[in-house]
Amino acid sequence: MNDSLRRTLLSPFFWLAFLAIAALPFVLQSYYLHIVILALIYVALASAWNIVGGIAGQISLAHSLFVGMGAMVASALFLKLGINLWLAALIAAALSALMGAIIAFLDWRFRLGHLSFALVTLAFAEMGEIVVVGWDFLGGASGLFLPRDTGQFLQFQFGGGEGVLWAMLVLAAACILVNVAILGSPLGYYLRSIRDNEQAAQAIGVRLLRNKMLAMMISAVLTSLVGTVYVRYLTFADPYLLVSPVITIEIVLFATVGGLGRAGGPALGALLLVPLGEVLRGKLGGVLPGLHYFIYGLIVILVIRLSPAGLLPLLERAIARLRRKQPSPQIIANPTARP
Amino acid sequence: MEELLQALTQGVLIGSTYGLLALGMGLTYGVSGIVNFSHGDFVSLGMFMCLALYSAFALDPYLSILITLPALTLIGAITYKLLIQPIANSHLLMIIQLTLGLTLVLQNGLLMIFGGQPARTPSVVESKLIIVGDVVMRLPHLIACVVSFVLAGLLFVMLRSTDTGRSIRAVHQNARAAALMGIDVARVQILTFAIGIGLLAVAAALLIPGTPIHPSQGLRYTVITLLVVVLGGMTNFAGIMASGLVIGIAEAMGTIYLPNVLGLLLPYLIFVAIMLLRPQRR
Repeated sequence: MNDSLRRTLLSPFFWLAFLAIAALPFVLQSYYLHIVILALIYVALASAWNIVGGIAGQISLAHSLFVGMGAMVASALFLKLGINLWLAALIAAALSALMGAIIAFLDWRFRLGHLSFALVTLAFAEMGEIVVVGWDFLGGASGLFLPRDTGQFLQFQFGGGEGVLWAMLVLAAACILVNVAILGSPLGYYLRSIRDNEQAAQAIGVRLLRNKMLAMMISAVLTSLVGTVYVRYLTFADPYLLVSPVITIEIVLFATVGGLGRAGGPALGALLLVPLGEVLRGKLGGVLPGLHYFIYGLIVILVIRLSPAGLLPLLERAIARLRRKQPSPQIIANPTARP
Repeated sequence: MEELLQALTQGVLIGSTYGLLALGMGLTYGVSGIVNFSHGDFVSLGMFMCLALYSAFALDPYLSILITLPALTLIGAITYKLLIQPIANSHLLMIIQLTLGLTLVLQNGLLMIFGGQPARTPSVVESKLIIVGDVVMRLPHLIACVVSFVLAGLLFVMLRSTDTGRSIRAVHQNARAAALMGIDVARVQILTFAIGIGLLAVAAALLIPGTPIHPSQGLRYTVITLLVVVLGGMTNFAGIMASGLVIGIAEAMGTIYLPNVLGLLLPYLIFVAIMLLRPQRR
């Protein structure tokens, strides 16, 4: 366990936020609970993508494949072959890791630049959707229906709203903690050196293949697990939602708006944008379909133009300014301000 | 044999329009080094403008080019000037994300205005067929093919022998040297992007007769365009037109000869193979 991970695990703020969200089912109506669950799903997805896209700077547009693997393949294994959904989720995660490793290998073997990597992964994502929609085992165009969630934990059922929220909260927190752990470990430094200058990193002895593969595999496993919980929550495995490249675009935009390459950035982006989008959709979706996506698009354009590093640095600067205005005893006891 | 000829013809006719779609992107990549992931949504924009002009004034799509071409060119220029130019020198990731954001804005802007029902824009030539020997061609496809090649030719002549064209080629070869020769590089970049988007207005009108349109189609056109541009070697104009034909033929052959899914996958498989195996220049 490295230093930054230990500090996060000991941080009262982290546990306060965790407990506050865990307590939400006792105060919120089910509609708002739904929004919180969706937000947590995207927090987890954006944080998992951040390992590859943010920390390692590899613009993967193939993450819809991993979501789809966790959602469609796990559902198909459960429904068509009768495999327990827990085991199916793990099989799907292992397959995602394998696929991630293959993508990273292709990237390394053929020395794809940033642009080529983005294009090849986008092509893979498109192919994934075509395959799922055309293959009856995975549900084809009409998708798959999971049985109703009756709360049998051993069947990967969480008993509706609050159960899914807690399961998702654990998974989202795990994704953020993995980010923290990677950022504080040698792997994080290797990945950032690869992001900033691949040739230079290689010249000083950073092993490109090993590190790129590791990043992609960790990210793929997390994404796939989130995919399974997502489909369990939706009950309906819809290929046009879960294997569509649009889901990757959403993930990338949330991560960018929050702040790439930081542990909390993508989570911040998803926490801000998903509720905004859901409320807009709920209030105006009937009159103006697509309004929430329209506004996501506008926000990401504005953020890139005005604060390319995302909203997290802005937030931190605002907090720092507030602290400077009214010096409190807290700042002296601040554990991060070490000599 | 009959089937093969039919597939080839179909592929060439559709592929030439793919080539036209891709010329603008290749031109922009050569001059500014950016890739516009909302390319296909500008095609959508052009198509929906045709639809709007048809519903309002019963204007034939081919005639509405007179309005959509200047309009899209202007929109392209404004987009580049306001959004892309300020970040053109930053990390590629930023440009990809900005244009993905633009995709959402365009796609859902269209969805809000026109709704999600697939719409058709009829044209007088829509249902005319031309039969040569055993091969059946739809007149709109034939028009699309001819116009695409004529436009590509005009573009080639423009690049070759006008001052504007020469300055575009100069920036393409070496932006710094071009600037030293007194070329306004920023202006050339805006102009190129605007021309590239303007070409899409023509391509949209060529593709629209007989094709139902939907706001969410943009990404598909973007991916096809990317396929064609990459296959054509990014900036080689003759190569791009040729690879448009290759992708068009692959699509037509794939749908006729291969089982359903594999046929749809064929263009992507070709693309990935080429991406991985082409000579590396980075």
